[in-house]
Order: sequence, then structure tokens, then C-alpha cells
Amino acid sequence: MPKRCVFSAILLIVLLSLPRLVHAQNAPGTTEGQAKQQSWNNGPPAKKAYVGKKSAPAPRRNLSGIWNAAAEGGVQPKGVLEHPALLPDHPQDDIGEQPDESKISRPLAYTPLGLAALKANKPGVGVRAVGPGLVNDPVDFCDPQGFPRMELFEFRVLEIAQSKNQVLLLYQFYDNWRVIWTDGRALPDPKEAEPRWNGYSVGKWVDDYTFVVDTVGMNEKTWLDNAGRPHSGDLTVQERFHRLDYDTLELTVTINDPKFYSQPWQALNKFVLHRLPDDYDIQEFFCAPSETADYNKLIGNPASETPQK
Amino acid sequence: MKHKLPLLTLAVAVSTFAVPLLAHHGNAAYNYDKKIMVSGTVTEWIWANPHCWLKFDAKNDSGEVTHWIVEASAPPTISAQGWSHNSFKAGDQVTVTMIQVKNGQPIGRFEGDVILNDKPFPPHDNGSSSNPKGGPKP
Repeated sequence: MPKRCVFSAILLIVLLSLPRLVHAQNAPGTTEGQAKQQSWNNGPPAKKAYVGKKSAPAPRRNLSGIWNAAAEGGVQPKGVLEHPALLPDHPQDDIGEQPDESKISRPLAYTPLGLAALKANKPGVGVRAVGPGLVNDPVDFCDPQGFPRMELFEFRVLEIAQSKNQVLLLYQFYDNWRVIWTDGRALPDPKEAEPRWNGYSVGKWVDDYTFVVDTVGMNEKTWLDNAGRPHSGDLTVQERFHRLDYDTLELTVTINDPKFYSQPWQALNKFVLHRLPDDYDIQEFFCAPSETADYNKLIGNPASETPQK
Repeated sequence: MKHKLPLLTLAVAVSTFAVPLLAHHGNAAYNYDKKIMVSGTVTEWIWANPHCWLKFDAKNDSGEVTHWIVEASAPPTISAQGWSHNSFKAGDQVTVTMIQVKNGQPIGRFEGDVILNDKPFPPHDNGSSSNPKGGPKP
């Protein structure tokens, strides 16, 4: 057999073997099927994946990446049951019903108007949880969470992308997104601007690793969190994104609403987000009105009915 | 190993639940003090947002059929624990550990072990979950 034929035969065998060689390089203990699954619809790793991990230094003026906000405390990072103002009297598994927050060690400083608005909101969870059928949480009907609730409840995975004039925040929960303008424009007058679910946001770098965002103009249909904390149209929110290192981002969210709260308060204080791999695929998470209607018909409403005697 | 469980086995009455599950639609409807285990035949598995649910029929000793609906958490949450849109199909035999609604309706939430066709479910844990038994969590 001519040498050329032998060489061609060997080459053909090598080429046919390539897929197996590639598959053999999957992570130890994973099957081919699992490896394929992990390239789409990824689930965030548990917190233990981050513990003790060494990181490269933070890049300058750059928040880009895919960030896991659920590693620290799950999908309700501080929104209700773990809110700093509620600890330590009410641990996370306390779902008892209480009429107000008067027994909480450090209650928020509601104004009379704010307290009245709080009482009108009937949450399904938290220290003010009401019975089934009485909950009026707008998110249960697929209304948008709005800002800042999207960072105080179901804060799962957040992708951040930067362009010349914008920072884009892409939130997994209910597939929502915000635009932060960085072109130097001023915020609109909230008394004149059309109210928005997510408000109007502008941001600026205050140092090479700290990006501060101010937001106004949120509509009054949204709650601040799933505990039913209210806000008025006068709400302004400041977010402070501080990149500690390549893999770690801290977020502080300050609520300022003098109509409903007599002083500003921090809803998140240096809340940690962990960077996910660049090839992390964010699973979609829409609120589908038809599916929610089916859920309410089959589960939510029957579960709320009074027992037959 | 065969799991021969009574159709309606009232199980543990302890309050060791780590966190309230499935917070979207409130927790007050459910009795968190008691888990039950129910076995039956799957009729439908709905993969939906914000919650998934499993429908199955359970027969009691007299042959009466109860149509159960058990809700799971959201797809992104349970995907990370090895669940998928095709985890269950009509005709599958399941034993579900759950908490039930307080009003006695045959409605529950997954809370603990699931046996699917005589095998523990989910079949593997990809490391995303801190709950090796695979029950949904927030």
C-alpha cells in the first residue's frame, strides 16, 4: 500500500476519534449529557464555590460580567425576612402574622402617611403576612417588580454590560432590564416626567472602582419589597456598586422617601455579588400571565378557600 | 429497592424546615408543621413560571381516587437541583413528600424526598444545591 494511503487512513481514524477525545475532557464525574446541559440554562453554584477563592485585582471602571446575587442568602437577599431592620427578633423561618412592625427591635422610621400605606399593602410572607386570599402583592399578578424591588426580592442573576454612554443591567427575574445613562445628562424632574416602573437612572464613577447610580421617577404601583414596604412618588434611590476585586462586587442601596420615611435607610448594605463564568447561560424567567392564571385557578385560589364544614 | 409506602402516610410532625419555600404566593395557606407522603400515578407535569406543578392520582384502600396537585419552585431554581421540563410523564409512579394546604384540599408543596418509579429523584445533584435530597428551595 502506498505510504500516502496509509497516512490518509491514519488521518481519517484520528478525525473520526476527535469527538470522543473532546467528550473525554469533560469534568471528572460528569456525563456527556450533563456537560451539554451545563452549557445552557445554567444554575448558579452554591456559596461554597466562592469560599476561599483567590481573585485577580478589580479592573478599572468596569462592572461588566455576569453576577450571582443569590449566593448570599438565596433569592430574597434582604427583601423581607432577612432585612437588617428585622433581625434578630425575626429569623428567616418566622412566618407568623403580626399586624405591624411595632415589636421589631429597629423598625423603619415610617411617617404617618408611610405607615398608612404600609398597612394597605398585604404581603403573603414576612412578619406582616396575611392569610391566603387577602394578599394584594402586585407581583402575584405578573405586574413588574419595578425598581428597587428587583434588587430586594428575587435578586438572582444580574448581567452588567457597559457601552460608551450606558451601563445596562439585565436581571434574570422576570427578564427585566434597566439603562443607566453615563453621558452626563441630568435626571428629569420627577414631577414632570412620566412615571416609570423602573424610574430614570444616571450614573457616574466616583473612583476607579465605585459606580454610583441615582434613580427617580418610579410609579407608585410597586412595593419596595415582598414584605409590602411602600414608597411614594417622591422616592429617590441611590445604588453604590463597589468592585472589590475581579470576582466580587458589593452593592449598597439607600432609600430616600421623606413622604413615607422620616429618614433615609439602607435596604442593602455592601451586599455581595459573585462573578459567574463568562459562558454562564442565564435561564429565562418570565412571569407568564396565562401560566400564572392557571396557577391561581388550580392552586392559589383553592388553597385560599375556607374549609368546608 | 422497592418503596412500599401507604397511600396516605402521615409523616413527621416536626418544625425543622429551613426556610419558607416558594415565597411568591405566600406561605400562610400551608401547614408547615406536618409533612405527608402520598403515592400515586402522574397525570401531568407543568413546567411554568413562576411555579411548576405536578398532578397525580392517588387511590386509597377503598379504590377512591384523589387528584393531587403539588407545586414546585420556579424552573431556574429547580433546574439547578436536577429537575427539568421532562422530569415526569403521565403514568410514572411517584411518592411525594409534601406539606399540604391548611383547608384540607389535595394541594401541596414539595418538601423533602421524592421517589420516581422506585428510584430517588432527582437522580443526580450537580452541586448547585445544598439539599442533597433534592427538594425545591427558594
